[in-house]
Amino acid sequence: MNNSLHRSLVLTAWIAGVFCLLVCAVIIRGHFTAATNDPWKSPRLLALKDQLAAEPKNKPLQTEIRRLDLEFRRNFRHRLALDKTAGWLLVGGALVLVLAAGKAASVSTKFQPPQPKTGAAELAAKLASRARWSLAGLGLVVAGAALMCSYHLTSALPADEADWQKLASKSGPEQAPAQAAPALSESQANWPRFRGWDGSGVSTNAGASAWDSTNGAPILWRSAIPAPGHNSPIVWGDRVFISGGTASRREVFSYSASSGALLWRRAIENVPGSPPKFPEIPDDTGYAASTMAADGQRAYAIFGNGDLAAVNFDGSVAWTKYLGPLKNSYGYATSLAVWGNNLLVQLDQGDSPTAGSKLISFQGASGRVLWERSRPVPASWATPIVIEAAGKTQIITLADPLVISYALQDGNELWRAHLLENEVVPSPIFVGGLLFVISPSSRLLALRPDGAGDVTTTRVAWTNDENVPDITSPVSNGDLVFTVSSGGVVTCVDAVSGKKIWEKDLGVSVEASPAILGGRLFILGQDGALMTFQAGREFRQIGQIQFSEKFLASPAFANGLVFLRGATNLYALGLAGANAPKQP
Amino acid sequence: MDAKPPEDSAVTRRQFLRNGARLLAMTGLGVAAGGLATRSTGAATVWQIDPAKCLRCGNCATKCVLEQSAVKCVHAYAVCGYCQLCTGFFAPEPNALTTAAENQLCPTGAIKRTYVEDPYYQYSIDEQLCIGCAKCVEGCNRFGNGSLFLQIRHDRCLNCNECAISRTCPGDAFRRVPVDHPYLLKTTSR
Amino acid sequence: MLRRLKFIGALGVMLLMALLVSAEQRFPPPDFENGYSLPSTSTPAARQLWLQYGDTAVFLAALGTAVWLIYKKRSRRGVFWLSLFSLAYFGFYRKGCICPIGSPQNIVYGLFNPGYAVPLTVLIFCFAPIVVALFGGRAFCAGVCPQGALQDLVLIKPIVVPPWLEHALGVVPYIFLGAGLICAGTGTGFLICRYDPFVPFFRLSGGTFILTFGAAFLLMGMFVGRPYCRFLCPYGGLLRVASLASKWRVRVTPDTCTQCRLCEQSCPFGAMREPPSPETNPKWLRAERKRLGWLLALLPVLILAGAWGGSKFSPTAAQLNPTVALAERYARQQIHPVEYGLMTPEALSLQRAADNPAAILTQAADLRRRFALACALFGGWVGLVIGVKLAALSVRPSRTDFEPDRGACFACARCFTACPNERVRLGLAPAAQGAEPL
Repeated sequence: MNNSLHRSLVLTAWIAGVFCLLVCAVIIRGHFTAATNDPWKSPRLLALKDQLAAEPKNKPLQTEIRRLDLEFRRNFRHRLALDKTAGWLLVGGALVLVLAAGKAASVSTKFQPPQPKTGAAELAAKLASRARWSLAGLGLVVAGAALMCSYHLTSALPADEADWQKLASKSGPEQAPAQAAPALSESQANWPRFRGWDGSGVSTNAGASAWDSTNGAPILWRSAIPAPGHNSPIVWGDRVFISGGTASRREVFSYSASSGALLWRRAIENVPGSPPKFPEIPDDTGYAASTMAADGQRAYAIFGNGDLAAVNFDGSVAWTKYLGPLKNSYGYATSLAVWGNNLLVQLDQGDSPTAGSKLISFQGASGRVLWERSRPVPASWATPIVIEAAGKTQIITLADPLVISYALQDGNELWRAHLLENEVVPSPIFVGGLLFVISPSSRLLALRPDGAGDVTTTRVAWTNDENVPDITSPVSNGDLVFTVSSGGVVTCVDAVSGKKIWEKDLGVSVEASPAILGGRLFILGQDGALMTFQAGREFRQIGQIQFSEKFLASPAFANGLVFLRGATNLYALGLAGANAPKQP
Repeated sequence: MDAKPPEDSAVTRRQFLRNGARLLAMTGLGVAAGGLATRSTGAATVWQIDPAKCLRCGNCATKCVLEQSAVKCVHAYAVCGYCQLCTGFFAPEPNALTTAAENQLCPTGAIKRTYVEDPYYQYSIDEQLCIGCAKCVEGCNRFGNGSLFLQIRHDRCLNCNECAISRTCPGDAFRRVPVDHPYLLKTTSR
Repeated sequence: MLRRLKFIGALGVMLLMALLVSAEQRFPPPDFENGYSLPSTSTPAARQLWLQYGDTAVFLAALGTAVWLIYKKRSRRGVFWLSLFSLAYFGFYRKGCICPIGSPQNIVYGLFNPGYAVPLTVLIFCFAPIVVALFGGRAFCAGVCPQGALQDLVLIKPIVVPPWLEHALGVVPYIFLGAGLICAGTGTGFLICRYDPFVPFFRLSGGTFILTFGAAFLLMGMFVGRPYCRFLCPYGGLLRVASLASKWRVRVTPDTCTQCRLCEQSCPFGAMREPPSPETNPKWLRAERKRLGWLLALLPVLILAGAWGGSKFSPTAAQLNPTVALAERYARQQIHPVEYGLMTPEALSLQRAADNPAAILTQAADLRRRFALACALFGGWVGLVIGVKLAALSVRPSRTDFEPDRGACFACARCFTACPNERVRLGLAPAAQGAEPL
């Protein structure tokens, strides 16, 4: 009798066990098919949706998507219901299994009367000894596991917490990928940013002097610009870059410097975080007021909505970032600066010193933020320059009311001076050991950039308050400083003493900054008059070319050519034979 | 320990040690419980997502210990713009502004679109269908008012001691909130 | 094309609208003209507070009932049914998530994170079973713990775990407890809850790993009595220590022990201890005493070595913490950038770190310091646990009868009915049968 009971119990247990296994198999199968058949995962459905995006009118495709979608959703609901049922079935099956098997085991277990143990004391001693050893073994296993873990999971954080700060400021030159920064000479041969490699508006490229504006209108080529923008052209090798943009579309254009052909245009879109809605920007500034910058590998552009993009020279986008929203009543217009591997963005904004202005240094190759410093200033429109002075590589920034110098290396502030007022648009220049900055419509100042801390009263070499511009930046050949006001008054000031040498009213309105090339001062009027003067102690005009469109952008000089951006056309001026890049 | 103590004294000594240990343990427990009780709250806590911190990564759909996540999308109607082209409802660049499957962003069709008046549509969530994948939340936050957001639904949540989603949340958006205020609802956009 | 144009048109309208509205909302809530009223967002309430107190009351009642069944009724059947009730209530109904096993973590978390107030229910769930254990042994394990009940239920044919292995594995719960508590104290997470093998079964859902882990324990539990309770459960470890000091203890029989060894067979958990043999060899005694002396001297060495090793291990252990792990990943990203997909959790969290690295790194640094201390404590704790166990293995027991080990006994009451004397006392067997040893 016991035997038959045992047999039926064992049979029950087996049936329950098989049942449990079957239920498990059903659940597991459901989960494997889920990987491909859930409506949000199915590669088939996703591919069909992609295809539909390409052919929006494909009716059968739509029908197929709807059919599949419905089917997958049904499957999904079905699977959920099944899982719930199966779970309870499994619980039930397992209960039957356990009860039957337990009963079977108790039925089958034969009662064995315990035997008296002999040598219990010895056994106990032996057992304790073995337990001690196994315990020691366990201790070793724990220690070994910890050792293995610490060997395989080494920390990437520096051992010394002091070095963490470096990580936080993201500088760490040793961490920057070894990417060759362009040689200084290479930068100097090109026009990699607003107003040339050092932002001074002086071209060291002697080749361009082969062209003489007295020789008539040497327009080498002229190319239409497909999108509006007030940014100035930049040049690297045979490439001229400009950007353009509207509220709906922002683009980067690359032209051949020698032929003027538009090599490619790249729309900057889908910038992560960039909203579809932009702050309103007055047309006078536009969405592409900031001049681009290039480092020999990539060209960088920033737009009025806060989109920052790095575009490879082949036209592919290297990276994009959204830095906005930018609070700027006129629209953001500060140009980008590059130095070595650093891309510098002076992101001044708002109406108050606490409105979130900052200076950011990006690693050009990756777009990684190397460091970021908040700036106690409201919006400004001046472009920073990088200078080598007092044994340091300094970034000079202007904004109302502060001139601040930052160390390029880590962004730490080197010195500051309370010298500026009004809406700061003109950019600084650094020539012959002096920094020339303009406090708009107020005064032209010369500073010695060798101080530390607050240098408001200690490092001003001289000031001059005659015909001070409010938009254009100064230019200097080291001996003389030239400024041109919006109303067209050119003023020549002695760079050492700050005394005015001469002034001349040209009678044109000017927004482009002046430039010096081969002893000639270039001034580009808004109405399209490109005038050249002798950059000397006496006023003398050399030549004038009249274009028939509006010019706001500053000229660029490279490859022996002059590049001008008009409202609708990009021009290259120069002699056809003189466009070989020359090293200074 | 130099002489073997008699059997009964060993027992009493152990008894004594035991009593002492128990007294000590009870005192310790009492102090700990007392100290904690002054800081403890009668009300228990539950988990909730801070919508301001949520990064819409999609973990909520998959990391919950429940097969059907306790996290669902909820709609703050007061924040909603009732847009005709709802970027939480329609896939990017929809084929047409209809409720056809190919136009919908929601993979399970959990958002119901109903006409209110020209040009406004109401969007509501069917929580039976919602899986908490945050696709619509991303669309609504990126391009719209952000009236769609994720919340833990407490009729589903088991209130695990350690929320399994919170461990993997990239935005550190999960926190414990008092049980009598168990939701962190949006009242303004973004 | 027309459709596309329409879309672009719609987008244009949207953008126009967007430009018109205030900065606060891209699209202003419309003023409805047809009397449409805004629906309100539904907020289903969490489990009511009174229900939580109800759970606590059920818990305390179950604890009391367990003590009564074990000591007063001495009924295996009663304990079994109580444990089934607990399995149904705390397991399948409450889904295993109001349970004392993880509660020490909440206590420690509350101690070191002032922002977290330990709920009263958690305090009760944590302390009540310990208090009971201090007086009456592990009544909680026998009758109230759903995890224990589940394992007890699936036990089909127990095999004897070799005592040397049992003793060695017996320290694992304490190590796990230490690890769980330092993780809780540093705000890293609740390891004990995370690796609870049975809760996924109560919920009927869970991840692949934990389900496999739980299934492995259940399968093992068919042949090894309560493997989780004996070799992993940290709360069981606490109760074990507490019941060492218990006032009353589970006795196989309150009557005289006839040393029949029947009870030894009845215990599936290897908790029954036989009395030491009366014959003693003075040579052994001396050796034993000497060994005990050495092992006691070894104890501080082990603690110090553990603390030292633990502090060395802390940078690795700190990576368990999500914030430290993020800081690590961020630091690694600076050296070897890894491309994560768009909108993946990894990329998003890295972005969060990159947005404000100083904040993450400051937190990570603070956590690192906490971990340095916590890991030293943990290492010392492991050394202490192993040292104490070593010494305890060298102490001569002082019992005269067969009796369950105070700590190891789950108070399941199985041995009661195995004792012939007890059977007589309970009237299950005629007196003559129980009077003589077999």
